[in-house]
Amino acid sequence: MKFFILFSMLLSFIYASDATIEVVKKVDSLPSLAIEDASISYDDTFKLRFFKSIVADVNVISIFNVDRHHRQSAFNASDVLRENKDKNYVLRYKMYEDDNAALNINMILLNKNNVVFSKNYRVRKKDIYMFVSHAMAYDINEFMGEPSVAWMKRKVIFTRIIAPKKSEIVIADYTLAYQHTIVKGGFNIFPKWANRAQSGFYYTSLDAQKPTLKYINIKTAEVKSIISSDGMMICSDVSDDGNTLLLTMAKDGQPDIYTFDIKKNSYKKETSYKGIDVNAQFMNTKEIVFISSRLGYPNVFIKKLDTNEIEQAVFYGNSNSACSAHGHYIVYKARESSNMFSENTFNLHLISTKTDMIRRLTATGVNEFPRFSKDGDAIIFIKNYKGQSSIGIIRLNHNKNYLFPLLRGRIQSMDW
Amino acid sequence: MKSIVLSSVVIALLVFSGCSSKEPAVDAKAMDTTEVVDATPDEEVAPIATETVTSEESVVNSSTNELDMETIENKLPTIYFAFDKYDITPDMQEKIDAAAELGKEVSSTYKVKLEGNCDEWGSDEYNFALGLKRANAVKQALVNDGVDSSRISLVSYGESNPVCTEHTKECWSKNRRVDFKLLP
Repeated sequence: MKFFILFSMLLSFIYASDATIEVVKKVDSLPSLAIEDASISYDDTFKLRFFKSIVADVNVISIFNVDRHHRQSAFNASDVLRENKDKNYVLRYKMYEDDNAALNINMILLNKNNVVFSKNYRVRKKDIYMFVSHAMAYDINEFMGEPSVAWMKRKVIFTRIIAPKKSEIVIADYTLAYQHTIVKGGFNIFPKWANRAQSGFYYTSLDAQKPTLKYINIKTAEVKSIISSDGMMICSDVSDDGNTLLLTMAKDGQPDIYTFDIKKNSYKKETSYKGIDVNAQFMNTKEIVFISSRLGYPNVFIKKLDTNEIEQAVFYGNSNSACSAHGHYIVYKARESSNMFSENTFNLHLISTKTDMIRRLTATGVNEFPRFSKDGDAIIFIKNYKGQSSIGIIRLNHNKNYLFPLLRGRIQSMDW
Repeated sequence: MKSIVLSSVVIALLVFSGCSSKEPAVDAKAMDTTEVVDATPDEEVAPIATETVTSEESVVNSSTNELDMETIENKLPTIYFAFDKYDITPDMQEKIDAAAELGKEVSSTYKVKLEGNCDEWGSDEYNFALGLKRANAVKQALVNDGVDSSRISLVSYGESNPVCTEHTKECWSKNRRVDFKLLP
């Protein structure tokens, strides 16, 4: 009996860090948090807009049960509002405009009327308030000692299809509240950040005679053509050091995976199957996962780059046509039904190459284009449901999904 | 046995101490620091308008060529495909044979660009590859019919170039197609 207890304890240790195991946290068991707005500048519309943004962000960090009531208080009041006195935490902030029209925010986190954390923020224009809201949630999360949500501060880049063969490339925050169109006009798709610092990106231009991979430096707006291929040209992934690209090219009409060395400006063919090989993603510096039709239907495979060894990675589903990897975790898109016109939905699943566990991450609609965050804490994906595109965020260790809808157009592809 | 009991207790303590309460200490260091949030370096860059000079648009209006091109292009078929497939059905093969004859008649005058397209099921790379395999299947059929392969180029637009945008079975089947475009 004692041995059994010891064994189950050990087991719980082993599985505690396995993201393929669903963690069900009850909302009631999370500490409660209310937010008090003590702003002295700006109109009510803007105050409410910021409040909604901070509520959403604090909700996404998934460690509080957040009260959604917009209540106003005085920043220096020693006590929290009467309505909030039973809350575990109260987040109070004051927004004010300075002489340079910059937005300043003072924030304090109260626990039983004691200030436990405080920080001030400044941003040069109030229009980009959402980045302050993300930074506040990030800092609170750090203060609470939770695993980092650094991905909150990263930018998402996506292609919006506005008409047949017409698209825009947009840079946004992860909630799509901020949107800046960086490439307008023409037909440009599959944007991919060129490095961790997000100082530039690659994308496919379909306006030229041949599909061409281009690079844009977002600080200087300089555009460079990298490489062209007949038929198809997509940058599927960029190595952590930014020096190697995984491309899908189709020399002679045959889609295959290539590695491309940025410094040497040379490429190497990695797969040569007569069907379809696409969507390569780095698992680490030596292995890639990719989608191939070599079994007669799309599925996920792993290739060791030094050797020609290829192995099947996923053994469930009969149409798995997109994937992303982080270490030994693979998230992939599976077609749920063989009846293509009824309830044909695509759902995302998570597996680990080290266990047999499989976890379904989404339940309705068309869910595709999964991408792990750099730290593996979250997965971003595109959801198309009832004619609307959204960006979704899955917090793996909190078992929560969040959706941020796009008001106009359809998202074709994205990266973060 | 005693040691097992002991170690169970120690592990249990470790496990439960891991789920410690969320009572944080006052962090005085963080007081009065101001973070300048500068998250938008790209904001200063005006949108980059991409060059839209495609080969179709850059044709010099030198002769009646353009009219010819349009007339011939209108005679060229659209080749349709089954869901998730890129093989050519017998009725589509007939259309390709007719197109090949037409291609040979006006041979050496124009090049042809085959544009592969898909329905809206999926915006991933696989869908683009499917569009390309469709275009390539048409190319192989044309080459088998005697059209010079160097005159044929391929491109895939995935699901991004629909001719029909309703969410119906009929509509999707119209989008799974290969179009012929003539190039000078």
